[in-house]
Amino acid sequence: MTQRISKYQRFKMMNPIIQFFKFIYLSIKIMIVVAGGHGGTRKVN
Amino acid sequence: MSKIVILGAGISGHVAASHLRRKLSKDHEVVVVSPNSNYQWIPSNIWVGIGRMKSKKILFPLAPLYKKKGIGYKQAKAVTFHPEGDKTEQKPYVLAEYVAGEKKGTQEKVTYDYLINATGPKLNFEATEGLIPGENKTYSVCTYTHADHAWHGLNEVIQQMKNGKKAKILIGTGHAKSTCQGAAFEYILNVEQELRRHKVRDMAEITWISNEFLLGDFGMDGMLMSYGSMTMKSNEMIEMIFEDRDIKWITGAGVNKIEDGIAHYENLDGEYKTETYDFAMLIPAFSGHGFKAYDKNDNDITDKLFKGFMIVDADYTPKPYEQWSVQDWPETYQNPSYKNIFAPGIAFAPPHTISKPRKSKNGTDIFPAPPRTGMPSGITAKLVADNIIDSIKSGKESLHHKGSMGNMGAACIASAGYGMTQGSGVSITTYPIVPDYNKYPKTQGRKLGKTFGDIGLAGHWLKLALHYAFIYKAKMKPFWWLIPE
Ligand SMILES: Cc1cc2nc3c(=O)[nH]c(=O)nc-3n(C[C@H](O)[C@H](O)[C@H](O)COP(=O)(O)OP(=O)(O)OC[C@H]3O[C@@H](n4cnc5c(N)ncnc54)[C@H](O)[C@@H]3O)c2cc1C
Repeated sequence: MTQRISKYQRFKMMNPIIQFFKFIYLSIKIMIVVAGGHGGTRKVN
Repeated sequence: MSKIVILGAGISGHVAASHLRRKLSKDHEVVVVSPNSNYQWIPSNIWVGIGRMKSKKILFPLAPLYKKKGIGYKQAKAVTFHPEGDKTEQKPYVLAEYVAGEKKGTQEKVTYDYLINATGPKLNFEATEGLIPGENKTYSVCTYTHADHAWHGLNEVIQQMKNGKKAKILIGTGHAKSTCQGAAFEYILNVEQELRRHKVRDMAEITWISNEFLLGDFGMDGMLMSYGSMTMKSNEMIEMIFEDRDIKWITGAGVNKIEDGIAHYENLDGEYKTETYDFAMLIPAFSGHGFKAYDKNDNDITDKLFKGFMIVDADYTPKPYEQWSVQDWPETYQNPSYKNIFAPGIAFAPPHTISKPRKSKNGTDIFPAPPRTGMPSGITAKLVADNIIDSIKSGKESLHHKGSMGNMGAACIASAGYGMTQGSGVSITTYPIVPDYNKYPKTQGRKLGKTFGDIGLAGHWLKLALHYAFIYKAKMKPFWWLIPE
């Protein structure tokens, strides 16, 4: 087993308080990607 | 009065039916034809497959909901398409065969003004010899019944490990051209975490096997993404996770045969190899359902409607990878020959893959087929419904709503382990889904910032929140439409 994620990184990944704020941040970021909309890619003549 | 028939009650069929019913007056008929009696929230099958969620938590019966909402429902499967009607039926119709109830086995011509083909994929287990869910120690998590079986199989192996027997676990793709690597990726991480929870992790060797050239391809040609303050390639991120979790990997592998506990595969170097296992979960190839279509004189016109999956407004001209562009991808999901037929979600035929096609030295194609995950399936279904609604209301064809996968983002919240305090998730968003190398030439076709990855407990909470939100939405509870696709 190769420890690729340091103990400090893991602490941040699993700490419920830090992750609570991360949850809010990610929810907003994902909403921006989703609500950013979608459309066509072809030029309309 | 118009009649809209929707084939399939999966993510895209159900989204289309619910939006049509909400926005059209009761003068118009909305009818769903689907063989499944339950709606299932497929992404949560991962947790059913590790025994942490009961399958009844991810499904609900469709008939009572459709009755309450005024949506017609036939528990039947489409058999043939007749877009011009026939000698005795003037209107276009689909021949459907009932699969349950008193009418089981009987066929009916279901006429329509608009048809939405949302039949998703056929889970083509037959394409790989011996790949049969629940046999040869291989399982699937593609449906809730498969996922239930997978948990029984996994639990047996866990019990054996508790009694001191070492075990090999193999998870990934079961065909050289499978897609849905994301689901297998979630499952391998969840299984790994469960083995730790059951205190048998040191008894197991876990291996990822996949048709991807590099880890983290996910059928999307991989991606360059923001990760914290860094810019990282998806293969680097997934490699980091696998190494950290002590998961071995075999990439560029086209599994072609399964025997009891043995997966036979060919790699890109043209070598024929085997991998043994005590428990395997391998995603099958996805294919079209093999539907046939006929004109009004009963001539076969299948190739006007289908190219495996349904033909839509994509550019299907064969061209080399270097000449592929986002413009090849469909925008309205309308069939060019029959303008009242649409195919959102997985049901449409993609113009080509997203990942670079690769051949083994023996000439075997080994690369992922393009994924169409839940979010694009929902978005494309809603835009198809909106175009039909506008066309009905204005009395003329309207195709204002467009959504190419080359101009659409997708969020993929991959569970990496279950648990309110011990769980984890890998949250990845990608924009656009199909890389646009003209717009974003320096960042491998994707917009950095909108293409990002994150790992941690919050990802698990997000996936769980999405589970409850989407089931709430699917049940069409108050203000369901405020939840985006
Ligand atoms: C295990 C797993 C995990 C996943 N996790 C995620 C995730 O975390 N996030 C994500 O975004 N996506 C995920 N996906 C992908 C997602 O589930 C699909 O993108 C989505 O289900 C596609 O929707 P669809 O409606 O096109 O097809 P489906 O959901 O497959 O629905 C097809 C419907 O058509 C019906 N049908 C079949 N044949 C006929 C016929 N002859 N006549 C009429 N109806 C028919 C079927 O019964 C079904 O109701 C996952 C997939 C799997 C397998």
